[in-house]
Amino acid sequence: MEYVSPEGLRLDGRRPMEMRQIRGEIGVVDKADGSAVFEMGNTKVIAAVYGPREVQNRSQQMNDRALVRCEYTMANFSTGDRMRKPKGDRRSTEISLVIRQTMEACIMTHLMPRTQIDIFVQVLQADGGTRSACINAATLALSDAGIPMRDLVTSCSAGYLNSTPLLDLNYVEDSAGGADVTLGIMPKLDKVTLLQMDAKLPLDIFENVMQLAIEGCKAVATYIREVLLENTKQLEYRRGT
Amino acid sequence: MVGLSIGEKHLYRIDPRPINVKTGVISQANGLARVRMGATDVIAECEGITAANCAATRQRKGFINVDCSPTAAPMFEVHFYICFLLICCFFTSAGRGGKELSAELWWLFNVPLFVSGAGIDLSSLVVVEGKICWDLYIDGLVVSSDGNLLDALGAAIKAALSDTGIPRVNVAAGASGDEQPEVDVSDEEFLQFDTSKVPVIVTLTKAGKQYIVDATSEEESQMSSAVSISVNRQGHICGLIKRGGAGLDPSIILDMVSVAKTVSEQLINTLDSQIAAAEAGEDES
Repeated sequence: MEYVSPEGLRLDGRRPMEMRQIRGEIGVVDKADGSAVFEMGNTKVIAAVYGPREVQNRSQQMNDRALVRCEYTMANFSTGDRMRKPKGDRRSTEISLVIRQTMEACIMTHLMPRTQIDIFVQVLQADGGTRSACINAATLALSDAGIPMRDLVTSCSAGYLNSTPLLDLNYVEDSAGGADVTLGIMPKLDKVTLLQMDAKLPLDIFENVMQLAIEGCKAVATYIREVLLENTKQLEYRRGT
Repeated sequence: MVGLSIGEKHLYRIDPRPINVKTGVISQANGLARVRMGATDVIAECEGITAANCAATRQRKGFINVDCSPTAAPMFEVHFYICFLLICCFFTSAGRGGKELSAELWWLFNVPLFVSGAGIDLSSLVVVEGKICWDLYIDGLVVSSDGNLLDALGAAIKAALSDTGIPRVNVAAGASGDEQPEVDVSDEEFLQFDTSKVPVIVTLTKAGKQYIVDATSEEESQMSSAVSISVNRQGHICGLIKRGGAGLDPSIILDMVSVAKTVSEQLINTLDSQIAAAEAGEDES
């Protein structure tokens, strides 16, 4: 199947280096300490952060830093076919672990010892790149909760199909069998916190694809920063200063 | 809160919080609706899946399942469910997981929707009599919980049903008696449900001597018992559940039912106009 047409257009009309439309919004779940919605094309994800709060399970309490927990769930209706088991399956467990490790790297856990920070991510619509959307949503939610972080963490995926590096794969391109590189970076610090790939790629091509993913992450970071600044402005207006 | 306000004019707070309904489209056949009542935010999705071997006597033509997203509250996480049952035997509504909600919704919606055909036209679900029919799968997701989940879920299910389309099916002719006929599910044409007869749910929570409609979670934490009633447009009661540990005098229940009927009229009108507006907005975009 042709994923990149001879004119250089992908299946959904994008150029190879073009990302899907992204949209982020803060403060969607009123009860949570911080929450956000993040959309990348048709992938839509809600993240809610509860914390820092008292550790529920005393045995897991750490005296020198905060405990970060993460849970990833997909809604029954998020994919085209109705899913039977929204959480607890292997993929969800793996993604929960990945998101937790990524966010834990950037949260300043040493500032909040003996506490617990819960990050819950719920996928409402899945169209490829759910991992990345979850991390971006979690970053926004953590900022909304006011949890101190070293830097934002943004994530984007890139792949290689029809001899072309492609940025931000959707579900069809992801299931095509080509390589899928998911990258998470801290943009200001220029450090990679998440790197995953399936399938195989020659090393020089891998470098190109990874570089493309880094560009994508930086673009997402610019957008997220705008959203956060706009949110802060709104808060200032409401406070009346 | 009801107990604290001494100078209250109304005996019961019967104005519900403002409702906001949005219908979204994932694909044309799936009806998706998102309802916000104050801080309570729920999503319902309705999907038709073909099922084989449907005898006419088969009872279940639909399945309702509700999940509570952990984003709603950390207490909805699976491994907290057990400690909550121990601590909260008297607090019936705090931290109710998805299974309880699914069971209650099933109770309130099953007969009118799936058995008697009073809610929706069940004959539209049959493809080949006795062989193939559509099963309706309704999935609910609680995104944010600030009390009164049943009402919000009921409204969302009604909106989702309005938004659902059943694809037109072409049956291959010449199938013999016992064989499964071949069917061709159309991607283009859809039949919409007429949901004017689908009931809505009104929950009345009793705290002290007064009862309130559309309780927030703070108010629900103080309730002694609650009655959830599903009422349809004609004012007929389609289902009733009483929750909570305290006993209720029968006259109070009858009074609650009549209050629910009054409230439901307004609720149905608001919901219908919101659904129509949402679908009109969706058609434009």
